[in-house]
Amino acid sequence: MSGRHEVVALAFAEARNVLASGRSVPDLAGEVMASVLQRAGIEKSEIDGFATCLSLTEAGNPFWSAVLADELGLELDWCDCVDLGGASFVGAVARAALALQAGLCSTVLVLAADAPSTRNRQDFGSYRTEWQDPVGLLGPPGLFGLLTSRYRASYELDPLALATLAVTQRGHALMNGLGLQQLQKPLTVEDYLGSRMVSDPIRLLDCVMVCDGANAVILTTRERADAAGRHGCPSIAGYGERINHDIANPVPDITETGHKVAGARAFAKAGMKPSDISMFHPYDDFLIAVILQFEQLGFCRPGEGSRFVLSNDLSHRGNLPINTGGGQISAGQAGLAGGGHNFVEALRQLTGEGGERQVADARNALVTGIGTIPYARNWSCSNVMILRAAS
Amino acid sequence: MSEGDILSVGRPLPVPTSVSKPFWDAARRKELVFQFCPEAGLFQHFPRPVSAYTGKRNLEWRRVSGRGRVFAFTITERGPGPFRDAGRYVVATIELDEGVRIISNIVNCEPARVAIDQRVRLHWLELSPQINYPAFEPDDDAPDGEG
Repeated sequence: MSGRHEVVALAFAEARNVLASGRSVPDLAGEVMASVLQRAGIEKSEIDGFATCLSLTEAGNPFWSAVLADELGLELDWCDCVDLGGASFVGAVARAALALQAGLCSTVLVLAADAPSTRNRQDFGSYRTEWQDPVGLLGPPGLFGLLTSRYRASYELDPLALATLAVTQRGHALMNGLGLQQLQKPLTVEDYLGSRMVSDPIRLLDCVMVCDGANAVILTTRERADAAGRHGCPSIAGYGERINHDIANPVPDITETGHKVAGARAFAKAGMKPSDISMFHPYDDFLIAVILQFEQLGFCRPGEGSRFVLSNDLSHRGNLPINTGGGQISAGQAGLAGGGHNFVEALRQLTGEGGERQVADARNALVTGIGTIPYARNWSCSNVMILRAAS
Repeated sequence: MSEGDILSVGRPLPVPTSVSKPFWDAARRKELVFQFCPEAGLFQHFPRPVSAYTGKRNLEWRRVSGRGRVFAFTITERGPGPFRDAGRYVVATIELDEGVRIISNIVNCEPARVAIDQRVRLHWLELSPQINYPAFEPDDDAPDGEG
């Protein structure tokens, strides 16, 4: 990523997360495109590359990226749609960086928008309808229930650690005016521990609330940004991706995730190690996913995640701030655009625009994605990106 | 349907595909079969178009014992769709003794009595004249007596 052409983020934008907004996906996309162009101080005509994420609302559209680009009035030299579930946004940024480095285009709009709480048209086929629906598996909470039960059979999972994550992220969400209104209320450890079971051992407050939303970033090369007088842009320092980790194993350890491999690759490319990270913005569809990522990315060893959470201050004023925008757990999951929430928050912090939740020492950020949960294994898509603030 | 009746819930019927048809044909005879890769010497499930180990299409279907253990499980408090009124029920990942895993229900057992590593055995659910579905129940005859 930091090869011949360093890739930087010129600007970011994010729409407010709203439950059942009644808005169309192009409407949400138009809002964040207009906003990100204004913040970047460039004209629409300068965008010659576009990467978006598949949308649950628009899942039936087989020409999604070209159609959305048409709605947005974009004439392009490179266009892509990424379908890695919650790993899509970070994956789209990585692919856009490659297109920039290959010289296919010079300025890329990466944009994700989704409105599944207004209309959800997803239609999984494959193993889900044949092998999961007939046994009444309750979607992601059911799958994460299976994963959590296995984790607890191998390691200690302290409910207080999960409660601490929930309370910390909620505290961050209360400082984020773009967060989902339904979640804008304080949360206590007791609230978490007393929340009802959905798919035991998964509680209601282990889960995200699905909503409508959108986010966007504009990427270009360091040379181009410098030429335009934009010297303070954060850059991509490293990336790693792993799909279907350990698939050639009929009886895998499902507490091991692709982040183990993807993280090692991203750290190596950035020339960094976990102790160099000044803030962490993990993909958080379930709280236990955050615990697993601390372990798999090397912040602690497998099984030590609970202890790690309880022995570090993960708040915006702490030694390792996490998901300072509230994360999806406390700001809402805007469908397949949810993976952009954590990424945009990392940029917000790296450019010193965090407001009352600004991290004091925001030198760099670790951002991750998680996409889709396969049959009887860990999740399918894991990716890891390290961003660096301008020096 | 009575409250708590996971055995008689009106389940969505699986539709056999060109890949999975041998599984359902065997299930009609109440035989549990899985794809087996002769080169890797390993089973795989769900049914795939190729071996997950070699990418080749020389897969065989082999019958397994139907005995295994609970690898992971979750207690569904309120299920989706037709499971909504079925009460609390268990969805588990069962690891068969032959080294392959399947997700299904643990039936004929109170949810609170299900445990990791518990021995289980096959219990066919007759969903329709065409479809028998493999569920599992405590294996009281297991040598380690963990039923």
